[in-house]
Amino acid sequence: MLSGIAWSAPEDYNFSEESKLYTKIADIKLNTTRGEVMLSDLYVKSPVILTLIFTRCVGICSPFLNSLSEDMDNLNAKENYKVLVISFDPLDEVSDMERMAKRYEREDDPQWVFAVTDNIAELNESIGFYPVWDSTRQQYDHDALLVGINENGYIVRKLTGIRGPDALMGVIREINNEFVLSYPLPRENMIFSCFTYDPATGKKKPSLGLLILVLPGILTLLMIALLSLKKQQQSVGNG
Amino acid sequence: MITRSLKRITSVWIITVLVLFVTAIIFGITMRFNQGKDLTMSPVGFYSLMTTHGITMIGIWAAAGLVAVNYLLGRYVKVSVSLNVFAFVTTVIGVLMIWATTFIGKYHAGWTFLYPLPLQVAWAKWATPVFLFGLGILGAGWLIWSVGMLLQILSKYSLKQAFAWQHFSKNPAVETPPLVLISTVSLIGIIVSLLTAVILLVLYFLEYFSGGNFTNDPLLMKNLTYFFGHTIANESLYLGLAAVYELMPESSGRPRFKTTWYVALAWNCTLVFILTAFFHHLYMDFVQPVGFQMIGQLASYFASLPAAAVTAFSVIALVYRGRIRWSLTNTLFFIGIMGWLIGGIGAVIDATVSNNMILHNTLWVPAHFHTYNAMGNVLFCLAFFNWVAHEFAGTQASVKSFRLTTVLLLIGGFGFVLMFYLGGAYSMPRRFSVYPQEFTHAAILASLGAWFATVYLVAIVLIFANIIKKCLKVFSPSFSS
Repeated sequence: MLSGIAWSAPEDYNFSEESKLYTKIADIKLNTTRGEVMLSDLYVKSPVILTLIFTRCVGICSPFLNSLSEDMDNLNAKENYKVLVISFDPLDEVSDMERMAKRYEREDDPQWVFAVTDNIAELNESIGFYPVWDSTRQQYDHDALLVGINENGYIVRKLTGIRGPDALMGVIREINNEFVLSYPLPRENMIFSCFTYDPATGKKKPSLGLLILVLPGILTLLMIALLSLKKQQQSVGNG
Repeated sequence: MITRSLKRITSVWIITVLVLFVTAIIFGITMRFNQGKDLTMSPVGFYSLMTTHGITMIGIWAAAGLVAVNYLLGRYVKVSVSLNVFAFVTTVIGVLMIWATTFIGKYHAGWTFLYPLPLQVAWAKWATPVFLFGLGILGAGWLIWSVGMLLQILSKYSLKQAFAWQHFSKNPAVETPPLVLISTVSLIGIIVSLLTAVILLVLYFLEYFSGGNFTNDPLLMKNLTYFFGHTIANESLYLGLAAVYELMPESSGRPRFKTTWYVALAWNCTLVFILTAFFHHLYMDFVQPVGFQMIGQLASYFASLPAAAVTAFSVIALVYRGRIRWSLTNTLFFIGIMGWLIGGIGAVIDATVSNNMILHNTLWVPAHFHTYNAMGNVLFCLAFFNWVAHEFAGTQASVKSFRLTTVLLLIGGFGFVLMFYLGGAYSMPRRFSVYPQEFTHAAILASLGAWFATVYLVAIVLIFANIIKKCLKVFSPSFSS
């Protein structure tokens, strides 16, 4: 799911899909394969699904874009949206993005936009995306990230990792102002969840939270049992 | 034994509850007039008032039920006046703290303080911890008081007798009075709900003071919130029913209700079902396991059946073709039973998953809970207040004087909740300070609701005036216990 993980990440690195939600994305200038535009020029016309990649990536970027492209074809969603692919690598140029568009046969697809920008730091900060350069591998450690932006420029949904067509459809509906159910992902500092999910087996297991839920009942039962026992002992003592 | 000091503290409770009740009704009427566009409040003002109204109403009628049961238990077991006074002091402190947060600090996260709202501070920063501390003080006082009452019951009755299990066999040697049985069941429920509140508050404080190092699971917090909130609201009603079983036959000049095997069975079942019915508040939480949703629906059906069926049967048997000496006390009990059953049916309709898809968070919700509270539990407690006030004054209720009050109460009360039901049936959302134009009839229904509530308020003030004079007599030096 991730080409890089926390050991090389800065302290504020996190995998939260909730960070920066409902905040406005930076309105930066983009150099697209079809010319220069402001990001706001895109999202005011149709909501945007943004993904950040770099063309020299030997990790997650290719399978991620493959999956995204296939899912988009399979979904054939009627909703109004554009897919914006931006390189976060300052070394990438428009020509690199053109080659990438051709590789995925999207160079003539008006729904897809491939771009680079001189303001990538500002964009990354506004969406909470923090790639880390690994000088040994000469690669970035980074999330495979999809960001749903509505027509007002607000980030309304984020997805990390390759998540399949259902989750993607959720993003498309959400950026088109449909109400889509969501729930925060478990975090390290959330220790009282009712269930834990084991990715190896795909099963949910009862967790500490459930124990907390039944605790008041257990405590009351114990208290009543104790009071009752005490009364019995007193009766025996008196008798 | 019912001592003079017990009468005095009961009297203080009654006056306090009634003053707060009248004030909270005025808050409610103000909110409905705002929704009806008859007056204009800021959204923050509206939600601060909504928070105050909700927490005050839930609090005072839970307390009123405890007061009634505490007083009436004095007929069967020794009751502690000190614990009663302690609970009163903690209640006053708690209420003052909570009102300070809503009126001065503008805290407005609703009485359910559903996670994570209290932590999303949109009011004075101090208001969140003070609100939670205020709740904690209230809860701690009532928890200690409830445990004390249960202890007093168990000091005379064995656990089996308190649950009336001996009535499952023929000719039981000891009879458990219905009051003792229902009080035991309700007090246990209240203790469970208050312990849940303690855990909930601890989890809130852990997150609040952790500086971001600890986060709660929203699903667990919502489960705990409704385990506490739903349970205490329902158990308060059962405390009121305990007073009905004890006083309705007596105030009607009929033989008192007796515990039979089916009464014992009904109330034992109620204990189990009421503790699991809260899951129906989480039907919309798609991450809640389906099994819990099924428990929620089944328990909602089963919780409403045994107690309601047995009580309705007993009351109808008492009233049907019987020579009843009608007074304000038994009239309030009788209307209260009607209100409880009507509200209960409204609740079961909403607790059915397929209906909840439509009615969830519409005005149907305040419709049903106002029915079984304002026209149910409140009337049970007012009936007790009226009965005990006459006992303090050594008078008998006059038969004619309550007719106007009853008519106002029926028109005002049922008219008020009808406007909510109509709003719910038209899918109008609850908790809107002002309705969007698309809800064309919402404002007029709100306005009518406010006027009906005003009629209800007049009835309450008449009852209040009648009760307060008699309650004050217990403080007279010449008062004899």
